[in-house]
Amino acid sequence: MPVDTRERRRLTAALLGGGTAPVPDEPDPGVVRGTLVDIGPHLISVATPQGEERFVLAEDSVLWRGRVADVTELSPGQDVIVRTHPDNRWVAQRVWSGLARVTGVIVAEEDGLLEVDTGHDRRNSVVAIPYRSSGRIQVRHPILKPGYLFDAVGLDKDGEFQAMIPVSSQPPYPVAETPRRPAVRRRPTTVSGTVGWYDPAEGRSGDPLATATGAAYPALDRSADCGPGCDQVTSCAPLPLLSIGTSFRLRNDCTGRSAALQVIACGSATARFCDRCATCGSEERGRIAQLTLTSFIALGGLPEAGCFNATLTVG
Amino acid sequence: MIDVVREIQLLVLAVMLLLGAAAKFTDRSINGQGPAGLLPVRFHRPVALLHGGTEAALAVGLLVLKGQPGNIVRGATALMFVLAVVTLIQLRKRDPEMGCGCFGGLSSEPVGWRTITRAGLLAVAAVSTVGLPVSGVTALLGSASAHAIVLGAEIVVLGALSPELKEIAFRLTHRTPCELRQVPLRRTMARLRASDLWESNRATITSAEPVDLWRHGCWRFVRFAGRRNGRDVDVVFGVPITGGKSGVRAVIVDAETGTTLVGFGEVAGLSRSDRARGGDGAARAPYEAV
Repeated sequence: MPVDTRERRRLTAALLGGGTAPVPDEPDPGVVRGTLVDIGPHLISVATPQGEERFVLAEDSVLWRGRVADVTELSPGQDVIVRTHPDNRWVAQRVWSGLARVTGVIVAEEDGLLEVDTGHDRRNSVVAIPYRSSGRIQVRHPILKPGYLFDAVGLDKDGEFQAMIPVSSQPPYPVAETPRRPAVRRRPTTVSGTVGWYDPAEGRSGDPLATATGAAYPALDRSADCGPGCDQVTSCAPLPLLSIGTSFRLRNDCTGRSAALQVIACGSATARFCDRCATCGSEERGRIAQLTLTSFIALGGLPEAGCFNATLTVG
Repeated sequence: MIDVVREIQLLVLAVMLLLGAAAKFTDRSINGQGPAGLLPVRFHRPVALLHGGTEAALAVGLLVLKGQPGNIVRGATALMFVLAVVTLIQLRKRDPEMGCGCFGGLSSEPVGWRTITRAGLLAVAAVSTVGLPVSGVTALLGSASAHAIVLGAEIVVLGALSPELKEIAFRLTHRTPCELRQVPLRRTMARLRASDLWESNRATITSAEPVDLWRHGCWRFVRFAGRRNGRDVDVVFGVPITGGKSGVRAVIVDAETGTTLVGFGEVAGLSRSDRARGGDGAARAPYEAV
């Protein structure tokens, strides 16, 4: 059954009221993604779907490519994301190059490479762990064996993911032994928890999905949306069931920034994580949404940190 | 009287073992793994199934066997409960947060003196049955009022020693909120087709099956293609997850323009601010700090 996501939200609003299904906010103009055209000590030029855009690199601009980098490490052709300065859109506050993330369950381990299942609606990812980051990865992911969770930020190098920074602490048990969610007593119209990100374009800056806004949601209605091969488990956070095309409001509890976001995909892999985010000290466990990379940055998240604490409101 | 007490132990032990086996087969909560939780992960489920299978076999033996085979089963049951006492004491030292797993996920409360005492009492009960000339089924068929009194007293004692009752009471009294409840599609369709709004809009609907289905919290939405006054329309029903057929809402929307033509039930419609923003009730700038 083809999914007309725009109609679903609008018809929900017609039946239940506009506050129930808010109109998704437009992309933040302060987040720009594209292909790096040129970079110098003071200027960066990016090819975007809207044309070429140039940004000034100030003294306090931060460049990232697996770690904090300098301009010589970025080269034309790379996938870059620019977050502009809040007071001046023509100044790049942060620039990320080659950013990628793999979140899911390890399904195979061979020759030092991991294969990770990132959800029933996505391709498995192949993960390489470079020697220089292996110690850091091992600290928070001590068991790199099939059946265990994996979540790391790194670099996309010619289609291979190089894990650099672990962004969660791996549970000591495999996913098959994940505890059940305790019984929920209250009506969950607002849910606090952790928000992560994913890249729907998988590093292809020219892909229309590269600048998509919205979220993959870990609690889709199984009978309407999850489809064949559905591997969705019950999320640790008490999330209201939604469908692709519906919308919710999300507030970054660390920065206070808020936006209305549309559910654009299934976040089944994130439903397996019941972790906390230490960004601003919330005690709430469980991942409540997996934002697209641009939405995550627009709401004030740092992709290399992997998460922020947020409150989700479903009308 | 002593024989009455001994005979009733066969039934109590059999029922306890059968309930334990059923719970282990059906509930896979990690906190209810009991001693199996101390083993490597790959052994957890096989050990739980083996434990449950052994309990079921012993229960059947207690009910149907007598004579020498019956005594062997009763002795084995006593041995199992003695081992349970030892294991539970060890489990309490090794992992104070772990439940005993006696009744699968229902036994998720950390092992305490009540659980250990219960296992000890059941071991004594099993020992007391060794040498009885009758089987459990025979004891049940020949039971009298004295058996019922002893059984009632024993149920009270075992109930007081069972932390699982608290978990059962919680599960029975706390229903999952409608926002979180997975509901079969056929139940939604049955509620829709039983509603007055379905009857009154049936003539407008042209598609035999829904063209789209989706969920938003406590509501499931069902969209049909239709035709009204010579124009293609969408007939959209909102069916509440809980409550009766009277809560169903519906709107008819022009398929081409998207204009809402008519609403039925307590349809919210779009407020002025909704229309100003295209549907969002909260008119605030995106991504601003609030």
